[in-house]
Amino acid sequence: MDELDILKKDWNKQPSDQNKVSIKDIYTMLHKKSSSIVKTLFYISIAELLFWILINTIPYFTSDTFKAQLDAVYTNDYIFTGITVFSYAVILIFIYLLYKSYKSISVTDNSKKLMESILKTRKIIKYYVLYNLIMAGISLLIGLYFALHHDPEAVKIIDNLDKNGIVLFTAFAIFFTIVFILVIWLFYRLIYGFLLKRLNRNYKELKKLEI
Amino acid sequence: MNKELEHSFVELLEKHQNIVHKVCRLYTNNYDAHNDLFQEITIQLWKAYPKFRGDAKFSTWMYRVGLNTAITLYRKSKRTIKTQDFEGVSFKIKAEDYDDTKDVQLKTLYKAVHQLNDIEKALVFLYLEDKDYREISETLGISEVNARVKMNRIKTKLRTILNP
Repeated sequence: MDELDILKKDWNKQPSDQNKVSIKDIYTMLHKKSSSIVKTLFYISIAELLFWILINTIPYFTSDTFKAQLDAVYTNDYIFTGITVFSYAVILIFIYLLYKSYKSISVTDNSKKLMESILKTRKIIKYYVLYNLIMAGISLLIGLYFALHHDPEAVKIIDNLDKNGIVLFTAFAIFFTIVFILVIWLFYRLIYGFLLKRLNRNYKELKKLEI
Repeated sequence: MNKELEHSFVELLEKHQNIVHKVCRLYTNNYDAHNDLFQEITIQLWKAYPKFRGDAKFSTWMYRVGLNTAITLYRKSKRTIKTQDFEGVSFKIKAEDYDDTKDVQLKTLYKAVHQLNDIEKALVFLYLEDKDYREISETLGISEVNARVKMNRIKTKLRTILNP
């Protein structure tokens, strides 16, 4: 008889009145808040959506100079409308994908499938953040380009720079972009790494069984 | 959710609560954590209950939700007070009867099982509950052959833990 069979004999003999919860206790529990990772992930994704929407729209509404500059840059109204429509469409698509993904998370699926649905949801949030980072990068570049070409003060500064100065300026710009991306990347690693550490470990363990 | 549904659920859970306690016992090592996990499993069961169809046995359905909560969804909440990790010599728990095993051999066995990882514990749990390999494989989402192979490895691992 192996060890587990010895355990099995005792397993079913576990007294059922130990830690027994009453009907009243169960009623109370039903109205307590869940602390599951899916719920946390849901809050994070909502925060994520709102954060990037705010980042993208607040400057436009609060800063007149920004608005004026933007209007000056996008002299072509069609382009501006096009970009606006496009960015809102992307947000709507992400909301739809997230909603669908959350809906597909079911605690009654088998463990592997449940883990996969959660990881898929997390991936969608990741792509949303990635999209925003890329867009931020592109806007930064376009902004810089227009500033250097159309802003008289910026043009004056660039004209006064010698060759070394331009190299230094470019290096500086690249350095800051890298630091910016690194900080955001670390931030996400921390949030999701912390939240999904156990899930990832268990998922890997299940995957290992397939080999 | 209507009262009738709530009532039927509470009654069923009260009747089958031992299954949830057994999951908690395997995945936690103190009284507070046990209660915390019990509560989370209860919430998850309740959330999934409207979709529960009578074609599966309530207890079978509970195994799945209980284990899934323990190995995937559960995140230690602030409610949990870290009393003592299992690595310690004995449990220091609020409820003294949490560890009721008098037998030294059984105590050692339980201790060994606690050292397994989450997935291994899930297999052991289903095995102890007398589930066949088909049900084990369906619950975890692995093939029957792999469940069998893994179970044998777990037995070897337990033996190594017990006789280092």
